[in-house]
Amino acid sequence: MQSALEKAVELILSGNRELMSILSVTARMSISSSLIALLIGVPIGIWLGSCSFRGREALVVINRTLMSMPPVVCGLLFYLLFSGVGPFRSMKLLFTVEIMIMAQVVLITPIVVGNMESYVAAVALPVKETARGLGIGGGKTLLLLLNECVYQIFSVYLLAFARAIAEVGAVSMVGGAIAWKTNVMTTAIMQYTNRGDFSMGIALGIILMTSSLLVNIAISLLQRRVSR
Amino acid sequence: MKKLLATLLIALMTLGLVAGCAPAQEAVEAPVEEAAEEVVAEEVVEEPIEEAAALNTVILKEQDDKMINTYSVIAVDPEAPFADADGNAVEDVAINTAGADALIKFLLSEEGLKLAGEYGVEQYGDYLFYVKEDAPRYEGEIAAATEETKVIRLSTTTSVNDSGLLGYLLPAFENAYGYTVEVQSAGTGKAIAAAKYGNADLILVHSKSQEEAFVEEGFARVLDGFEGERLSFLYNFFVLCGPSEDPAGAAAAADVLTAFASIADGKYTFISRGDASGTHTKELSLWPEELGITAEADSFAGYTDWYVSANTGMGACLVMAEEMGGYILTDKATFLTFVANGGVM
Amino acid sequence: MKIKPFTKTYDGRTVLDMPELELTEGSIYAVIGANGSGKSTMARILAGALPCDSGSPVLDRAVSVGYMPQKSYAFRMSAEKNILLSGGNAKKAKELMERLGIISLARNRADKLSGGETSRMALARLMMGKYGLVILDEPTAAMDMESTALSEELIRDYCRETGCTLLLVTHSLRQARRLGDEAIFLHEGKLWERGSVEKVLFAPEKPETAQFLEFYGV
Repeated sequence: MQSALEKAVELILSGNRELMSILSVTARMSISSSLIALLIGVPIGIWLGSCSFRGREALVVINRTLMSMPPVVCGLLFYLLFSGVGPFRSMKLLFTVEIMIMAQVVLITPIVVGNMESYVAAVALPVKETARGLGIGGGKTLLLLLNECVYQIFSVYLLAFARAIAEVGAVSMVGGAIAWKTNVMTTAIMQYTNRGDFSMGIALGIILMTSSLLVNIAISLLQRRVSR
Repeated sequence: MKKLLATLLIALMTLGLVAGCAPAQEAVEAPVEEAAEEVVAEEVVEEPIEEAAALNTVILKEQDDKMINTYSVIAVDPEAPFADADGNAVEDVAINTAGADALIKFLLSEEGLKLAGEYGVEQYGDYLFYVKEDAPRYEGEIAAATEETKVIRLSTTTSVNDSGLLGYLLPAFENAYGYTVEVQSAGTGKAIAAAKYGNADLILVHSKSQEEAFVEEGFARVLDGFEGERLSFLYNFFVLCGPSEDPAGAAAAADVLTAFASIADGKYTFISRGDASGTHTKELSLWPEELGITAEADSFAGYTDWYVSANTGMGACLVMAEEMGGYILTDKATFLTFVANGGVM
Repeated sequence: MKIKPFTKTYDGRTVLDMPELELTEGSIYAVIGANGSGKSTMARILAGALPCDSGSPVLDRAVSVGYMPQKSYAFRMSAEKNILLSGGNAKKAKELMERLGIISLARNRADKLSGGETSRMALARLMMGKYGLVILDEPTAAMDMESTALSEELIRDYCRETGCTLLLVTHSLRQARRLGDEAIFLHEGKLWERGSVEKVLFAPEKPETAQFLEFYGV
């Protein structure tokens, strides 16, 4: 264990160029995909959680099903769609960070929606009832509801980010784990492990966990500040 | 505010633990650990442990003609009968033929072959690839990259990629001619499938039967000035590894076929890649015919007490072989990396 | 002010079946009844927070309704900001907080207040506004004796000052007697008996009312 730890520290200190490339691709991929998923998922989640309309239950069930979509299935779908023989071949997106982000967004958005929905569904009723009792109009009620969600949005973001940075099935498929281009931490760990270079895998794992820790600390601090 | 400070403090401490402790531990704990190991060594194992003896899996059979492993490079034909997942024909598949030409010509040039042939000596003290005597050679000009042909998509097998050969070869090519080679690696089966889906400009693989099928189906292209679609230019040997005690007597066997037969006879554990890789294909060809072992799961259903179909990468299979004291067919490069790492974390 | 007859059905079970009800403006009505008698459902429907079976409004004319639900929601902001949500000036908010004994909590996060504190905050919040009809659903249920006394005094003053009609849902017969002009007794989703507080509490006409009163003890 110690040798892997040493290796991780050594790798970081040496400023290994390939490691830096992997880290920056990982950061770009996971931050963009989690942010996009958040931008799409939060409004949908709030809408699903706070409005009552015919078909709402059905949408919730569909979303929960999407939440359990296996990443490899999502990856395979995107692979086939954007393949050299796929319908979207002219976009030339296969094996790019962009398509990795797209696949991740598809995987993560339902999780964001589901989490927001269940949270909002619990607070929307008392919020709306209380606001109505005070004669507060619809627009302001929505703002109040949003304000109630701020803390939760941060938590949901962390969940989305965690999923994005830890996912391997879909990104290895659509990204191809191409060195200097689409290789991220998880796919690199896979590669080294397949090679039998376990200590390198563990070293990368330690670096991955450490960067996750840093992001978590940063977001949690922001969460405290904003929702005070 | 206090909470915030406390969180920061905890965070810093955690970070310190993760990042900072390693050197400190080295200083404080290392001697203790060494001492502990010595005690264990004295008590449990009576003979002194040699440094390199950490791994029990050793090479038993190598350089056998039956285990020859030939690498070919094949250019993908843009006019190939591409079809989408539903089997509908697709015509306008974008293939970078100029880029593929340039890379193949480089690989077959004097410089390319020389680099490939010398790879491994420096790092492992052993040749990992040999240039075929009858390899097609190229002596002409190589076109430099243009904006359209700059990116070359190479689909190859994990064993090629994991050996580090491409990392050794490609920078010379990229720096000289301005191309960027995007390497995707998978088992031979998947690497070829990627090309059939129009996701590669050329393939570098090592499975003759699968290569021939690829050519037969019309996916390959003959380069101007070359003969044939399959350009076989490198080779090396698979190695049969197993526990150093070698209960099956594989090392002493006359040839590798006899070794495989005696493994099957004695029902000694054998780890198979089981993933349609080139290594797997080769392994399947080495079993006595009457056993009837193929890539199909049904074919070895009766041998599950000793035949382990792992369906995973070479490294993971090696770990499995080491753990289970089993025999395994592997490419030499991965095995050497595995040994260099002590086989464990 | 008139309340039109309405019903409320859940899963085929009628939980509330109200006849037409006429309210004298400026009066305080204490709504009493056992748990599950339909008091809160009635309050929510009158407040417009829950549609009745017909879906149409039950009040005969447009009148502003102020409503404090049984579990008032404390928004994630300071108690003072919560109180100022429906408008009004800070001076009045301060005055209300002082009267309810929560002035020291003004800057505290409302969602971190205790149950009794939240109720007082919610009461002050409601009283920042002026309404034709005010509905309070057990406003003092979570409060101690002292806070209850302060709140009752404030409720009485508020009604006098604004001239609103008040529907006070309560399970405390003492509170009904202290504050109410009239009592409305609900039993199994029906309006069982109404009349002056004195009459309903001390000389009920129906045996069920008497039984309820005996059980709860005036």
